[in-house]
Amino acid sequence: MHEFSVTSQIVQSVLAEAEKRRAKKVTEVHLVIGKLTFLGLEQVRFAYEALTKDTITEGSKLIIEEQEGVVKCNHCGYEGGFKYEDDPMYHVPVPTLKCPQCSSVVSIVAGKECTIKSIKMMI
Amino acid sequence: MAALKKEVVKAEEGEIYDVELSEDLLKANQRLADENKRFLHKNGVRAIDIMGAIGSGKTSLIEKLVQLLKNRYKIAVFKGDLTTTIDAELIARHGAETVAINTGKECHLDANLVKKALQRLDLKKIDLLFIENVGNLICPAEFPLGSDRRVVVVSVTEGPYMVVKHPFIFMEADVVAINKVDLAEAMGVDVKQLDKDVKMINPKASVVATNCRTGEGVDGVVRALGL
Repeated sequence: MHEFSVTSQIVQSVLAEAEKRRAKKVTEVHLVIGKLTFLGLEQVRFAYEALTKDTITEGSKLIIEEQEGVVKCNHCGYEGGFKYEDDPMYHVPVPTLKCPQCSSVVSIVAGKECTIKSIKMMI
Repeated sequence: MAALKKEVVKAEEGEIYDVELSEDLLKANQRLADENKRFLHKNGVRAIDIMGAIGSGKTSLIEKLVQLLKNRYKIAVFKGDLTTTIDAELIARHGAETVAINTGKECHLDANLVKKALQRLDLKKIDLLFIENVGNLICPAEFPLGSDRRVVVVSVTEGPYMVVKHPFIFMEADVVAINKVDLAEAMGVDVKQLDKDVKMINPKASVVATNCRTGEGVDGVVRALGL
């Protein structure tokens, strides 16, 4: 829902980085977006295209790498994907903060990021 | 004179240069939220963030909380809304210092807006702060504000599947208020099932059934928040 404002920050950061290095053109931007964020990738792409128009980043390739959600259990040491409850009533598996191994409460350690991993630019 | 160490990377004309950044844009908000939290603690203020869908009863809950707590705490309220100050005025009637935060078009509060609002308060006169987020069960989950506890209000009039449809905001909650329980029967919604859904997704959350119009159950929210 806030793809436009987040993407606007992304584009600003990219342009600032390019300016620092006196780049003539930005050719590629590589993002990592966690699956637990509420950023729709289609909307990010759309916003990126609109926001880079008439800048040196216009026409650059946008690579979006998705990061799975990872939880960690302090009780049994489990680290990995969520435990999903498959309630037939809801037809979709619901992610939970329960440890898949011991059912203790887990904390989320990955999947909430929105990172510019790298930028390719022409100097 | 020390020798100048020149670190100039020379690139040929037209060469492609790969810059590694690893800059997390959502972390920028997290850093500001941490700053807000430290600032609030330094001033002896506890902050509670109230989230929930449009019309779930966030403002009504805050009104009742202010009524119950105003003799024991010096309370301030931040009220996030897109444009109006209607709700802020409702809350101010109960004697709490109220700052309306109009986000314009943004669908959530963020740590920066809260930081700005904090500058409007004399924190020496405050020891409890409620922050009402914009009505939305999606985006606020992504933007911590620097509060100590997060409350999610979900009402039976939103239907029986509201909790399982928005698991991530319930993962963020310390306390969940299931509101408008007086209408559960008319709505054909089972409060026990909503309670079970919350505990399935987030076993550490406290769940309280409330009717924020009459104030029923709000004392349970106070206890769950440790106030």
